[in-house]
Amino acid sequence: MKTDRIKAGLLITVLAATFFIIACSKKSGTDNGPVATNFDKGAMLTNYADNLIIPAYTDLQTQIAALETAANTFLATPNADNQLTLKVAFRSAYLQYQHVSVNQFGPAESVLLNNFLNTFPTDNAVIDGNITKGTYNLAQNSSIDQQGFPALDYVLFSPGAVAKFNGTEAAKRKKYTEDLLARMKTLTKTVLDNWNNTYRAQFTGNTRSDAGSPIAFLINQFAFEMDQMKGPRIGWPFGKQSGGTQFPENTEGYNAGISVALAVENLTNLKRMFTGNNSGKGTSDYLVALNQKPLNDDVLSQFDKAINSLKAIPDPLSTALTNNKTEIEAAYREVQLLLTLIKTDVASATGVRITYQDTDGD
Amino acid sequence: MPLISFFTRFQRPVSIAPLVIFRVLFGLMMLAGTLRFWLNGWITDLYVKPKFYFTYWGFEWVRPLGDTGMHLLFLCVGVSALLIATGLFYRIAAVLFFLSFTYIELIDVTNYLNHYYFISLTALLMIFLPANRYFSVDVKLWPSIKKAYVPLWAIGAIRLQIGIIYFFAGLAKLNADWLLNAMPMKLWLPAKSHLPVIGNLMYQSWVAYFFSWFGAVYDLLIAFFLTNYRTRPVAYVFVLGFHLATALFFPGIGMFPYVMIICSFAFFSSALQQRLLNRIGNTSFLPASTFNSYHVPVRLKSVLTGAAIVYFTLQVVVPLRFLLYPGNLFWYEEGYRFSWRVMLMEKSGNTFFYVKEPSTKKAYEVNNAEFLTPLQEKMMSTQPDMMLRYAHYLAGVYAQRGIKKPAVYAECYVALNGRRSTLFTDTTIDLSRQPLSWQHYNWILPYVKK
Repeated sequence: MKTDRIKAGLLITVLAATFFIIACSKKSGTDNGPVATNFDKGAMLTNYADNLIIPAYTDLQTQIAALETAANTFLATPNADNQLTLKVAFRSAYLQYQHVSVNQFGPAESVLLNNFLNTFPTDNAVIDGNITKGTYNLAQNSSIDQQGFPALDYVLFSPGAVAKFNGTEAAKRKKYTEDLLARMKTLTKTVLDNWNNTYRAQFTGNTRSDAGSPIAFLINQFAFEMDQMKGPRIGWPFGKQSGGTQFPENTEGYNAGISVALAVENLTNLKRMFTGNNSGKGTSDYLVALNQKPLNDDVLSQFDKAINSLKAIPDPLSTALTNNKTEIEAAYREVQLLLTLIKTDVASATGVRITYQDTDGD
Repeated sequence: MPLISFFTRFQRPVSIAPLVIFRVLFGLMMLAGTLRFWLNGWITDLYVKPKFYFTYWGFEWVRPLGDTGMHLLFLCVGVSALLIATGLFYRIAAVLFFLSFTYIELIDVTNYLNHYYFISLTALLMIFLPANRYFSVDVKLWPSIKKAYVPLWAIGAIRLQIGIIYFFAGLAKLNADWLLNAMPMKLWLPAKSHLPVIGNLMYQSWVAYFFSWFGAVYDLLIAFFLTNYRTRPVAYVFVLGFHLATALFFPGIGMFPYVMIICSFAFFSSALQQRLLNRIGNTSFLPASTFNSYHVPVRLKSVLTGAAIVYFTLQVVVPLRFLLYPGNLFWYEEGYRFSWRVMLMEKSGNTFFYVKEPSTKKAYEVNNAEFLTPLQEKMMSTQPDMMLRYAHYLAGVYAQRGIKKPAVYAECYVALNGRRSTLFTDTTIDLSRQPLSWQHYNWILPYVKK
């Protein structure tokens, strides 16, 4: 029959063309597409959950507990010595927070962990008002800039803090500090419990790459954290958006004077997340499996460049903004290059869309 | 004369069934699409939340209508779709559907999708087609309008429209990246390795080539195989297989596969569709006569013929306009839209805008998130005309903020079809002074394969 002949002809054409193309592409050896080896995405996600994400929350929980102990000592006897000890615990916990900052999806997203734990700059006037009034609701979304690490930074370490804890509002100030810590503990526990109880299985069992999948979350969050580095952490206080007018008091961890340390920790951890902690089961290995080793090498070396350029800036960042402009400009540039690599090249190579909205496309 | 016989052929009366079935399916599909859009919360996300909208050239007056207004507009789309399906106040419903749907699509270039464009075009055609003359509420209300036969062109118009889409979608795939490098399939398929059974195949090079070549051949030839009655049943099995596969592999394309599956049904013969309709609608076969055959009113005949010729000429010319532009089409995207280039390339970009005040030499880097949604930013970062619109908008915003004569510069990096990202824009050119136009954009740097 004629139909069959047409069908057969069509099929043969397609098959012949396909084989021809494959034969050609093998010879030329410039095939930059995927390789024929399989990559176990499930194992990668399990590595992320069990060796990176869940331990990071567990450590944060421990660090916040230690911070609370140090805070209680300081609150019982508010003096400069205890404040110094407290600052060490605060720094340590805040640095650990940088390890979970990138995980703002799933459990963290549903409680807005980043928003409640690390919105800076804080609204200091409102915080002072809260303390004076003694009434406030830290569970409200509108109160994100009155709590978390930045609020602790202001309440515990701003100039004259020790005196204030011995002043007329000492009891209320103490109460506010305790409430801040309690809220941080609760939120962290909620997220950790959610990971351990239900989300871990969802996360490791979903090897898709479309919007809302764990792999897409990871790539999107890498880009998002880089955006935060470029914007709120470094660029905005430096005056990048404001024609050079600087906002030193808007830096992360301003009163403790640890902005650069936090930024370095953030980016170092981002690299650790990208490589899956060099376990052979990270995003970086996925890229290599997709025959994108040159890209992966470039990303890793750009990570190092950006981290080293950040390290060249001395803390506190608030004074470095005026004294170390060259170093900050250089770091800003390296961060921007890294951001572009992740947002365009890595996203393209992994077939992930950088968008937080789920809509149709073609 | 062959030309005359060609035209008489299109006047030949055929059963109205294909047109009626198309009307019902199209209406129901549009209703479902509208509900889906509404329930996903996309009305608010796409048409209420954004601060800035990328308008179309000549349609700058099309603005979103606010939260209530947008929901009412979608209600209008949904209701008119339902009216089309049931065939109640059909002509009015078709006009309303076309206007409201097209208005929505014209609000923001960000949301441009080829199948939305297809829906607008089809809705426009349907205004002029007598799809309510049978199996409709209108016929129940006004029995005198009932017709069992229409001239072949009334169904042919829809078939031709679908054929054009497939063919140009196929032509668009005839490029080196698609055929010789299997791009972007090589990038997209490994992202689908979660699929059961076939998942591991997604890493194989030959699968990417197979998808690319099969897709190209399918698009180029399917309309011809659907037209020929001998190959039609097999061709329709391919339609089902192809579009269900795309729905499975690329869920991001939404309603598109289902729209094409339903519309391609229009290729089935009048006789077959009449039998189908008789079974569903409890109607019976009527012999053709002048009484039950639809004819265009004589006074409108030449106007409509002229309009149809202009319309279909444009349908062929518009997708080919890219030939008038120099440079790589995928890079510049000049003449890219409205050309049935569906799932054709993997392109992503990252754009930094800087506003500079010439008198003080102060520079202000723009936080795109302040003005654009993530989706808008993503779309803008690879499409020159959107960048330009945004740059003009930024100049206005920063002027209001007190910057004197703001100059706007873009530093954009774009990665295309798996190649490494390179600088896309000339960072020394003040985009606020570059006009939107149909001319080649000189502020886009040439495409360099890296």
